[in-house]
Amino acid sequence: MIVKAVRAVLLALVALFFLFPIFWVLLMSVMTNQDILRSPPSLIFEPTLENYVALISGQLDTSVGTLEVAYMRNLMNSLILGVGSVLLSLLLGVPAAYAFARFRFRLGENIAFTLLSFRFAPPLLVLLPLLFYFQQLGLYDTYFGLIWVYQLITLPLILWIVRGYFEDISEDIEHAYRLDGHSWLATFLRIAIPLARPGIAAAALLAFIFAWNNFIFALILGSSDVQPVTVGALAFITASGINYGQIAAALVLSVVPTLILALFAQRYLVEGLSLGAVKG
Amino acid sequence: MAYFEIDRLSKSFGKSKVIDNLSLSVRQGESVVVFGPSGCGKTVLLRLISGVLRADAGDIRIDGESIAHLGPDHRDVAMAFQNFALYPHMTAFENIASPLRARKLAEAEISRRVHELAELLRIDHVLGHTPRELSNGQKQRTSLARSLAAPPAVLLLDDPLRNVDAKIRYEMRLELPRVLREYRSTVFYVTQDYKEAMALGNRVGVLYDGTFQQVDTPAGIYGRPESIRIARLFGDPPVNLLPARPELSGDGRAKLRIGGSDLVGPPSLESLVGRDLLVGIRPEDIEVLTEPAEGAIAVELDALTPLNVRAVMLLRDGQGTEILASCPEDDRPPLSRGRRQVWARLDLGRALFFDRATEMRIH
Amino acid sequence: MASLSLDKVSKIYGPRRQAGVLAVRDLTMRIDDGEIVGLLGSSGCGKTSTLRMIAGFESVTQGEIRIGDRRLNDLPPAQRGVAMAFEGYALYPPLRIEDNIAFGLLRARMPKAEVARKVADVARLLEIENILGSYPSTLSGGQQQRVSLARALVRGADLHLLDEPMSQLEPQLRAILRARIKDYLIEHKMTTVFVTHDQTEAIALADRIAIMEAGELQQLASPEDLKEKPANLFVASFVGEPPMNLFPAEVDSNNAIQVINRADEKAFSIDLDGAGDAAAQILHPGRKIHLGIRPHRIRVGPVGVNDGANAVARGMLLSNQWLGDQSHLGINVGGCFMIAVSDRDVALRTDEAVDVSLPFGALHVFDRDDERALLHGMSPAEA
Repeated sequence: MIVKAVRAVLLALVALFFLFPIFWVLLMSVMTNQDILRSPPSLIFEPTLENYVALISGQLDTSVGTLEVAYMRNLMNSLILGVGSVLLSLLLGVPAAYAFARFRFRLGENIAFTLLSFRFAPPLLVLLPLLFYFQQLGLYDTYFGLIWVYQLITLPLILWIVRGYFEDISEDIEHAYRLDGHSWLATFLRIAIPLARPGIAAAALLAFIFAWNNFIFALILGSSDVQPVTVGALAFITASGINYGQIAAALVLSVVPTLILALFAQRYLVEGLSLGAVKG
Repeated sequence: MAYFEIDRLSKSFGKSKVIDNLSLSVRQGESVVVFGPSGCGKTVLLRLISGVLRADAGDIRIDGESIAHLGPDHRDVAMAFQNFALYPHMTAFENIASPLRARKLAEAEISRRVHELAELLRIDHVLGHTPRELSNGQKQRTSLARSLAAPPAVLLLDDPLRNVDAKIRYEMRLELPRVLREYRSTVFYVTQDYKEAMALGNRVGVLYDGTFQQVDTPAGIYGRPESIRIARLFGDPPVNLLPARPELSGDGRAKLRIGGSDLVGPPSLESLVGRDLLVGIRPEDIEVLTEPAEGAIAVELDALTPLNVRAVMLLRDGQGTEILASCPEDDRPPLSRGRRQVWARLDLGRALFFDRATEMRIH
Repeated sequence: MASLSLDKVSKIYGPRRQAGVLAVRDLTMRIDDGEIVGLLGSSGCGKTSTLRMIAGFESVTQGEIRIGDRRLNDLPPAQRGVAMAFEGYALYPPLRIEDNIAFGLLRARMPKAEVARKVADVARLLEIENILGSYPSTLSGGQQQRVSLARALVRGADLHLLDEPMSQLEPQLRAILRARIKDYLIEHKMTTVFVTHDQTEAIALADRIAIMEAGELQQLASPEDLKEKPANLFVASFVGEPPMNLFPAEVDSNNAIQVINRADEKAFSIDLDGAGDAAAQILHPGRKIHLGIRPHRIRVGPVGVNDGANAVARGMLLSNQWLGDQSHLGINVGGCFMIAVSDRDVALRTDEAVDVSLPFGALHVFDRDDERALLHGMSPAEA
């Protein structure tokens, strides 16, 4: 009995430790700036929805006047960029992953590793040259340009996770399908992809979250027209002060889509990652 | 008339030659069993025939036409896999129908053929199940049905009974020939079990060191193995190998000294006088007697194992040489614990004579 | 050396006082001093849990295990006086084979000369003399298994436990090593319990075999009795290679057994005239039974040859396979697939009609409901 009680207390402590920041952000999002900045902080305040109203209406009242914010637009941009880059990555990455999993070709391992190594380089290293290229090519401040550069994040992820999944499928099953008289393309589409579906779903989800959370590429390579929520939240750092309440509300709103996705596909995610990535 | 021909096939991985100049021709409707120890290259050979691997040299022909350049989907070769290789996301019906779908048959025709096969293999009641819901025996039958659905020119069976339990293995071993006869298949059957090889092959090819060491009928391989190694691969308990040197006795007949006694050999032994031999005697060619008798050597019976049809006995002669004998279960000496004295009569007329240096059989 | 007894031993995995997984239920058996007993069953039948409880690697949920008069339940493995050969070999990697085998003896402070003699003895028995100086990592699976066996046999403990002792042995060595090991165990009067899923191995080694299924002991008997007097339908279908032919059947009003095929039609019948009083008593009209026929008691001959058997059924020979020292036959008898085995080459052609002789001595009768044996060769089965 005592053991059980101690375990419950310890678990509660751990949960509190991890959930506290989220809880605090939730609180902040329904507080006014004055309440937030009060010292010492207090849990007694009048909850308000004005932060959310300001975000959704796009009218931000500050001490020096009303500011226009494009937060809802940012949210839309995040969605476009996230979905766009994941789709492109799937289109390119899944066939590539299959090739790496099934065929041994010259430099194959090197190419696969090079693709992964993009994840090692700090983005700052390539940003400035990229900016110049993008301006020259007319890709600056376009969805296409950002989706392209997001491939640095999503493509390696999808490639490596899905590859592990393809490697787990028994080659005999594919050979059997070929021997039945089906072409290799049919085998890929009707055997390999359906069997790797959980892994593909997990990889896509993870890639989406990574794309959603990206900050630095969008900050440098786009204007507010294409910028996602991560960058959009910067607008609340105004000349007249930092609007913590709105930042918190923006955070809550921006977390909601990924949270829903993650909860919905949690089982897939864990299975997919532990099965595919570890073995691959 | 050769229907399916493998012609001087070779395949290496790095420095190791897995298939080395291997040739074989098979008649239409014939079942050839490929038998060999694990790692002998059986799987590679099947992959070369099915086309998922390409040979370094040599040719494969069906009905005179080379298929070596074709992909697996155009070879008219089907295969049943050791691990069944069923499509986990399709029902048993769809698994069996897969080759028919590839040939774009009408739905009614597909359904008719699948049901006909399912009935023959007694899986008609589980056609709607996915592989996960099938027992191992049913999986095995589904996999076999799939390989027969679009009757192929050559059917490859890769140790298909390896992963099913004993009861189903015996049943399938006895049923399979009938199914194959019904479909007039030309069969290439791979196994590691010599009993399966003898039961299912019109001919048996013994494969090791990258090539067929002997190809013959089951009775031919069992009765006239080319080498000691082949002789030991067939038979459980395995053949006894007794060192001996035949000598001429006073009456002009060749004699062998085994177990401290001089035994009269068959006339064929006379030409081998003075040579160092290993005499191969199969356990079933040794008669164990509880009383002394003419031509029987005195031995100690160390252990008696009553197996199902035959009982196996471990004998030890005066020199300490161990000899395995077997006899029909009904004729075995009474069971008792511990060692005792018995007499063994060796049927030298059925013995195999091997050269001790080369380990090859002397004809 | 001592006897071993298990008294109503159960093993339940999972948290206490909750519905766990029942691995072994109420297992009671007594193994005499010097006896060799095999635990035989398919995977998950509880045989390995039983062995591990005896060794002390698993706690006993209920019941008592004793060696002689010593209660083992709460003793740690090292104090039980038990030697074990593990399925995974569990050799000590940094020690040479010789030292692996000698380890237990040296630890028990046996004089060096005697240890050397014992090691040499057991090495000769198991044909590992040429690898005594090697390290475990350089050996094949079969060799490692022989070393592991040697290490257990050399100990001379009160009780020897062998877990799948011969599963990896090279096929050519198997027959001779089985016989030698049995000879060695008997000569040294070693009480032995071993676990196997291979019935040939069990029959070759054991004085008595315990057949287990679903955590319960089905029958503990000599190999001969298991074949001739299986206690229930499970044992009958499990023991024997090939296993017993089993068909559902019913006794009709004409005092005959009607055998029923897969399509639920009458396949063939066996007239019970002359079957004796016991059979008449048990096989009353309308009784639903399973009929068992041992494959190697069936005789198959050309049509019309009656060799005096009590019952003859007409069938079609589907396959006739000569395996060198025995023949296996597959026969379709009225829609029933029957397997027959003969110890000689049978000169019959496939796809022709044959007569199948079924002497009463070949028949076993089981109750259809509780699946217990009723008759063996028309004599009543013991309760």
